[in-house]
Amino acid sequence: MPKIGTSCFVVVYIPFYFLQCARQKRLLQRAGNDDVSSKQLSLDVTVEDHYSDLFSSPVFEETCADIPAALLDDDGIHVIELNLAAEEAGIRPGASTSQAIARAPELVLYTRALSHERQLQDVLLQLAYSYSPFIENSAPGVCTIDVTKTRNQQSGLRKLLAQLRAVGLKAQAGIGPNPEIALQAAKIADPVLEISHDCNLLQSLPLESLDPSPFLLDILKSWGVRTLGALTRLPRDEIGQRLGLEGLSLWDRAGGRSTKVLQFVQPSETFEESIDFEQRLETLEPLLFILRRFLERLSLRIESVYLLIAELHLVLTLENGEKIVRSLQIPAPTRDVEVLYGTAVQYLETLQTTAPVTSFHLEIKPSKPDGHQFDLFQGKLRDPNRFFQTLARLAALVGTEGVGIPQQINTHRPDSLRIQTPEFDWSWHSVKNTSRPKIGPGLRRYRPGIIASVELDKDKPVLVQSNLISGKILEARGPWNLSGNWWDRARWEIREWDVVLEDGSIYRLAQDLSQWEVVGVYD
Amino acid sequence: MPGSPKIIQLRKFLAERFPQQKTTHLLAPTGWSPLDSLLGGGLPKGSITQLIIPHISAGGSIVLHEIIEAMHQHSQCVALIDGKNSFEPSTDYPLLLWIRCQNVAQALKATDLVLRDSNLPLSILDFKQNSDTELRKIPGTTWYRFQRIIEENGGTLLTITRHPLVSSAQISISLTHQLRFDDLTSFRPEIIKLFSLEIVRRRFELEYRYA
Repeated sequence: MPKIGTSCFVVVYIPFYFLQCARQKRLLQRAGNDDVSSKQLSLDVTVEDHYSDLFSSPVFEETCADIPAALLDDDGIHVIELNLAAEEAGIRPGASTSQAIARAPELVLYTRALSHERQLQDVLLQLAYSYSPFIENSAPGVCTIDVTKTRNQQSGLRKLLAQLRAVGLKAQAGIGPNPEIALQAAKIADPVLEISHDCNLLQSLPLESLDPSPFLLDILKSWGVRTLGALTRLPRDEIGQRLGLEGLSLWDRAGGRSTKVLQFVQPSETFEESIDFEQRLETLEPLLFILRRFLERLSLRIESVYLLIAELHLVLTLENGEKIVRSLQIPAPTRDVEVLYGTAVQYLETLQTTAPVTSFHLEIKPSKPDGHQFDLFQGKLRDPNRFFQTLARLAALVGTEGVGIPQQINTHRPDSLRIQTPEFDWSWHSVKNTSRPKIGPGLRRYRPGIIASVELDKDKPVLVQSNLISGKILEARGPWNLSGNWWDRARWEIREWDVVLEDGSIYRLAQDLSQWEVVGVYD
Repeated sequence: MPGSPKIIQLRKFLAERFPQQKTTHLLAPTGWSPLDSLLGGGLPKGSITQLIIPHISAGGSIVLHEIIEAMHQHSQCVALIDGKNSFEPSTDYPLLLWIRCQNVAQALKATDLVLRDSNLPLSILDFKQNSDTELRKIPGTTWYRFQRIIEENGGTLLTITRHPLVSSAQISISLTHQLRFDDLTSFRPEIIKLFSLEIVRRRFELEYRYA
């Protein structure tokens, strides 16, 4: 391990990067398109178990590694990347599709997943940033990190590789005194390798590991130079005279003498995942599976920058072109996948679409961990996120106006209330101690009021008849005249009476224009 | 109704066989002194308390307001599941979660959600205005289900009904009072002084647990 102070670089390298991205997209799409219900019935496993197995099963991975796979260019004509099995089958980059299939009939062909590549490169940089702030976006699937001032590279690196593994990327890392050596180490690492200037391992690497131009490679091979060691044994000046600057650069790189300066970058601060489905989605289960995968990945990314998730922004594109956009606030920002998943599922379960879903986009809004100073005697909510999920369920049951905090409106009109949805810090709301004298019993109100017929004697109610109460009024007090909004069309005027019936119960009657109502009972 | 000797024997056996099930009951003070002093400190946590108010105009609303206001004074949240959407707030209650149900079925579903949530220390289920016909249709198992839920999460449920209804209630309290017409202009503490709160049934812990 190099001493602190000497230059040290780490390269995180994702082999077959484009192929891995394409394969991951294919797996997600497969998850979305499989006939879930039939598998559930036959295997008696849950949907999530089924798909988790699909991704994490070592058997599946091994099988994938054994099966030749190739990535096609944008036109879908030529092979641009291959896995080891395909190379062993004799396929070379640049071969046409038909040639490749002729060499290996079982060849699995993938097309490039450009959006997936961009997203996964963002993931790589964001996770690498948690390891060291000095990172370079060297190439697709390659990130160079300056760790000169960092200790314990190996343990941190293994954690970083594990995190990449968790998001579905198989990566390897190399440590070296300069970025070039670190990159060469990364290419042959399993999964982490550290090499120095004088390491024989570097000398034995083939020339192709430096990605020289095909022209230069042909010349060197015609000279019988096939490894980096063979190249560095040739005199540098002679190489310069014959092969020019490109040759000199290659010689320096082969000898581990590259003086490349890293161009540090800040990882993107957007956290989003998206997928376009090859086949439309008609059921919820596959979408939920993809949602969970996205949330797991985003949670990991957000953890690397020590933030929390405060909002989920979902965009569903339907087959008919319609877009469903919904932002879901997380009352108590969290990284807990279960909480986030529960919040999103609660919305998706109630969602009705006019056409099948063709693409899904999920973006999260990060927030800093918020500190709250709790009062010792205040009853705070145990689990605010769960509480707000319950609130949403209650609102679905009784309506949004049916659940909340009652607030009185500044008017004299009876039963004028506003229902406010509790906020996150609801539970530690300070309560003013009012010293207002409390007079009389409370009213239990009939909403709406019960229409009644009232008989008057000398302008006083003496008999009431309604669906609820009927009988002789023993005593009546009133009228209490109330009116308001006389200046506009919403003018109202009510005359109220308090009455006692023969059974001793006390009611409030109201006369609005010419109609009588039983509006409540005193209790 | 006293249990048969076999039932009593079974309860005794279960109590001996599963001694860990025997726990000391904690109390959740409501802050309203007449009720707290009657119950020796507050409503029992993890169980249902039933408040029976037979008369139509008996002061049940006063009890409701007093408990909510007392909980507010102690900065405690409270959920009110209003079985007939009849509650009339006399002032702003910033810590009251008011669930305005239209019928018994809706109220029971809401109660189930609130109890399972377990975030709020006290839930009040007010069925005083619901008709007996509606209330009689509630299966007895519903109350035992609620009891199991709050037993698990340590919540407290207070039900307000006109007749005994909650078979799994650990304590049943009766409020027998008839409001007078003059009470409409009386100070509330003066009215409360006339209240007659009485425990009509207290189930023994073991009887309650293995009921």
